[in-house]
Amino acid sequence: MDKQLVRRIHAYDFAILEMGMYLNTHPNDTCALQKRQELQAERAALVMEYEEKYGPYVVTDKDVRGDCWTWINSPWPWECDWGYNHVAV
Amino acid sequence: MWQYEKKLQYPVKIANPNPKYAQIIITQYGGPDGELGASMRYLSQRYSMPHSELKGLLTDIGTEELAHLEMVCAMVYQLTRNLTPDEIVKSGFDKYFVDHTTGIYPIAASAVPWRAEYIGVKGDVITDLHEDMAADATTTKEQPAFPRGRKPLISLAFRHFECFRKNGIPATI
Repeated sequence: MDKQLVRRIHAYDFAILEMGMYLNTHPNDTCALQKRQELQAERAALVMEYEEKYGPYVVTDKDVRGDCWTWINSPWPWECDWGYNHVAV
Repeated sequence: MWQYEKKLQYPVKIANPNPKYAQIIITQYGGPDGELGASMRYLSQRYSMPHSELKGLLTDIGTEELAHLEMVCAMVYQLTRNLTPDEIVKSGFDKYFVDHTTGIYPIAASAVPWRAEYIGVKGDVITDLHEDMAADATTTKEQPAFPRGRKPLISLAFRHFECFRKNGIPATI
């Protein structure tokens, strides 16, 4: 698992989510719209890289391998740590 | 409809299982101020919101609460992995275990199952937004108070503060 790749996708997801939340109440902010489009484009490239390695990121995405169903293979989120450092519990 | 992304909004990595803490943390899933109630509150209230801004706000926050719910469940799941019968009895986890084993069931720390009375849906924009602000203020205060698993819970507390703030924008206009 390329944990750095996954962490970068997470960071883009969070930034895009936040831009969307802001735009809900500021729908005419062209600067925010532009920034969100830039983030979307950069994220798309990373997700493509993930899907080539591990299979779909969202179930409706294209399964790039084609010869078997890889959605069930890639790690489930509650079972893996993605390499973040946490205080021990 | 919704689509599932294979990730947690904030990662959960519990080093050592601890069924005693699991019984406390689970209240943030199915307790009176838990994430299940939070998601149901927002997603139920959005239909009677009068403006597009509010329909979008409540849809997106309600969706994010589902992601929070998943984080809390991941914490409970990891806190109850690989338990011995002795650990189950000594931690007091046996009372939960007899009904649910290590399945994740939405209950409060007091063992009361999740109830719809935890949420309010009045169909009135001002009433419902204030209910949301009160609920998110509660979780902002409550989540950092947990003795363990602080990092993911503090991240949730920050998000709930943000929800409190975002609800306040339309509520004060």
